[in-house]
Amino acid sequence: MTTRRSLLATLVAGAAFITAALPAVPAAAADLTKASLRLKWLPQAQFAGFYVAVAKGYYKAEGIDLTINPGGPNILTENLVATGADTFGLSGGVDSVFAARDKGMPVVCVGIAHQMTPFVFVTRADGPIKSVDDFKGKKVTTWFTGANHVLKAMLTKAGVDPALVNIQPQQVSVTPFVDGQVDVITATRYNEYYTIKTRMGEETLRSFVAEDFGVTFPRDTLIVSETTAKEKPELVKAFLRASIKGWQDAFADPKGAVDTIMAVAPTLDRAHQEFMLAEAQKLMLAGTVKENGLFWIDMGAVKTAEQLFLDAKVIAKPVDLAATFNVSFLESIPLAERRP
Amino acid sequence: MSATADFAAALPRVLGSRTVQRGVLGMVLLVAVWEGVARGFALPAYTLPAVSAILVNIVDSWAVLAPAASYTLTESLLGYGVGSLIGIALAGLITLVPRARAAILPVATAINSVPVVAWSPLILLWFGIGIASKVVMVALAVSFTVFLSALAGFDRVDRRAADLMRSFGAGRLSVLWRLRLPTALPLIAAGMRVSTVRAIIVAIVTEMLGAYDGIGWVIYQAVLQVDFVRVWSAIFVASAISLAFFGLVSFCERRLIFWT
Amino acid sequence: MSGALVASPASRPETMSLALLAPLWRFARGLFWLAVVLAVAEGLIVLFGVRPYYVPRPSVVIGAILATPTPYVQGFLRTLSETLLGFASGAVFGIGIGVLFFRARALRELVFPIFIVSQTIPVIAFGALVVLWFGNTLVAKAAISFYLTFFPVTVNTLLGLEGVDPRQEALMRSFGASRFKLLTHLQLPSALPQIFVALRLASALALVGALVGEWFGDTVGLGVLLLQGMYNENVVAIWAAIAVCALLGTGLYAAVSMIEKWLVFWGAEQ
Repeated sequence: MTTRRSLLATLVAGAAFITAALPAVPAAAADLTKASLRLKWLPQAQFAGFYVAVAKGYYKAEGIDLTINPGGPNILTENLVATGADTFGLSGGVDSVFAARDKGMPVVCVGIAHQMTPFVFVTRADGPIKSVDDFKGKKVTTWFTGANHVLKAMLTKAGVDPALVNIQPQQVSVTPFVDGQVDVITATRYNEYYTIKTRMGEETLRSFVAEDFGVTFPRDTLIVSETTAKEKPELVKAFLRASIKGWQDAFADPKGAVDTIMAVAPTLDRAHQEFMLAEAQKLMLAGTVKENGLFWIDMGAVKTAEQLFLDAKVIAKPVDLAATFNVSFLESIPLAERRP
Repeated sequence: MSATADFAAALPRVLGSRTVQRGVLGMVLLVAVWEGVARGFALPAYTLPAVSAILVNIVDSWAVLAPAASYTLTESLLGYGVGSLIGIALAGLITLVPRARAAILPVATAINSVPVVAWSPLILLWFGIGIASKVVMVALAVSFTVFLSALAGFDRVDRRAADLMRSFGAGRLSVLWRLRLPTALPLIAAGMRVSTVRAIIVAIVTEMLGAYDGIGWVIYQAVLQVDFVRVWSAIFVASAISLAFFGLVSFCERRLIFWT
Repeated sequence: MSGALVASPASRPETMSLALLAPLWRFARGLFWLAVVLAVAEGLIVLFGVRPYYVPRPSVVIGAILATPTPYVQGFLRTLSETLLGFASGAVFGIGIGVLFFRARALRELVFPIFIVSQTIPVIAFGALVVLWFGNTLVAKAAISFYLTFFPVTVNTLLGLEGVDPRQEALMRSFGASRFKLLTHLQLPSALPQIFVALRLASALALVGALVGEWFGDTVGLGVLLLQGMYNENVVAIWAAIAVCALLGTGLYAAVSMIEKWLVFWGAEQ
């Protein structure tokens, strides 16, 4: 009994020591804080910076022993972060953060990776659709997981009644579009667009960009639980510092970053991954990132997205934006270190 | 004798009528403990919602759940029908043309050695996310089970009885129709009975990877919209459909195959 | 079927070498036919110009595996360990519960309906819960395998135990055999053929459980490779993963069948 109690005491003391020591000095290997990052999807160049930061030991240097857990088709990053199963999450986007807060999940967004809508609406250049106005009566496929609201908002802004457009859920495959069964398809700039481009040739395609119609939909949000934000602010800051360094390195040496990803998932197609990283870079450097640094939360864009979701009745009431989006962790890092 | 046929044959025996009361008691206890844990620890819905909350949600989202359930049921029934027919037809073919056995059996076994879910990415790419891909997946899952039970049933016939019929000038087809089929029916029915639950689960799993509607689609949407009570509601409905389908097939089996 | 009491494994030394050679011969013959089928498929695909988005040539698929063998080998081993862990625990639990249910009728009647209902639930709907409870560990996948495995084993164990000849039971009792001895020397051996029927089915289900489990966020495993291939629309990668799954599935089935032949040598099957 006594030994057990003293063991417990040692553990508690040790834990206290680790927490106390963490902010002061980059901890030695022995007292690293264990933490995990849950991604929104399987390993690919979209997440290269985090893998680079692990490979180069940036998290270790900040005192974090980080495990990267991939996502999957039926798990929600917000859920795993809210329950404490994972410390950090790179979740779907402002859409999933809104939905989570709307349902009372205690998650806080501490940074946003993709500053602009990561997908475009693609049609054939020689087809009948020359403008958004021509979407009327045509078959448009999109994901009913957020992209559908962007599509509707874009149509409304262009003066087209979404009810006049034949909007259908999108296949996992782009083949229906390539075969001409679908007039307009939704494509992420880094994934589906690449597949369509390689199969049809880029010159045969015409893209419609939501931003051209004043609709912005920031995605790939970094989230933590309210508990972590409140009780371990230094851990969050350390994580952000290391992640930013990893991404800066990935942009500086894309070949090396793709090497890191290919080592994690060797069955991926290298050419595609290089394209993906280049596109991810464009998305992450868009907006006000040049002035405010990587992962910046552009509250203007967030508010626009919130309005879009209120209009679509996806969320019942306005979200407490101040409590949901917290830039203080980013701001505590000198701007010079955050600049891309 | 096929694994599934045995497994199926066990169910009614295990489910003797005297057990009903205790069974209901068991379910009630489970629900009570569940409700108590969820309410007592005030668990958030994303960990474990209370049964009462789920039931209320089923009523509230009936407008979404009912069409989804009938969509999934349509897919499952179509796939179930196609799969059963293929299974019985193949087993019949092998019995009529014994030389076909060497060709069909290895191919069927090879296809079956790949777990059904492993085919789903390919089937979705081939047949799209509409109803066709689910029908194919369900048929794939059902046909092999039915095929094995049918084959076991056809083979079960007493050789002497078959020889006797042949000696009276009956053709292979006639032996199959008048002798083998009636003998095999109980086993075929047993195989079809076990396949019911599997048919619905396979349809749901495939819907989750891509669909226009259905229970799996509702679950997928609900997960993304962080609506976990709805996930549970959909699962309750799916479970109810499976049990009803299972019950219906068992009922038909008892009414139609009176000679066992 | 009930010869278990008299026959003993020691009494058949000369059949052992034959028993070992026959599967080898069958294996070689199987490989030969597999090669023939693949060659024919290759020829047909080239002949009809099938688009590679639908069916790639077998040589391309094999080439893809050989180009980056590591993920396939790792995936095979990882999925195999998950499957084995889930299968073994499901089998042990299934047999144990089967015996328990056989002994305690009230418990069986109380719990069995819950078991049946549990089998109508698509596990894939609970991705988040599984990760929540078990994390991203091997155990999480094994848990799903276990969930799919134990039920058929329970049912068939029960069925086998109830099918024991009552006269034999009476005979053993009259010699003063204890209930435990009755179980280990008569009831379980008699139930073995039934149990193995379920185990063969369960080996396939355990693999399904492991594959689906890997869809809840993981880096290594055949399920991951399938998913990656699907969302990158890499049909070659999907076929490569399917081929490795087939290898694993066939291997497991064959292994269970071999153990069955060895243990249930008195053969109730066929």
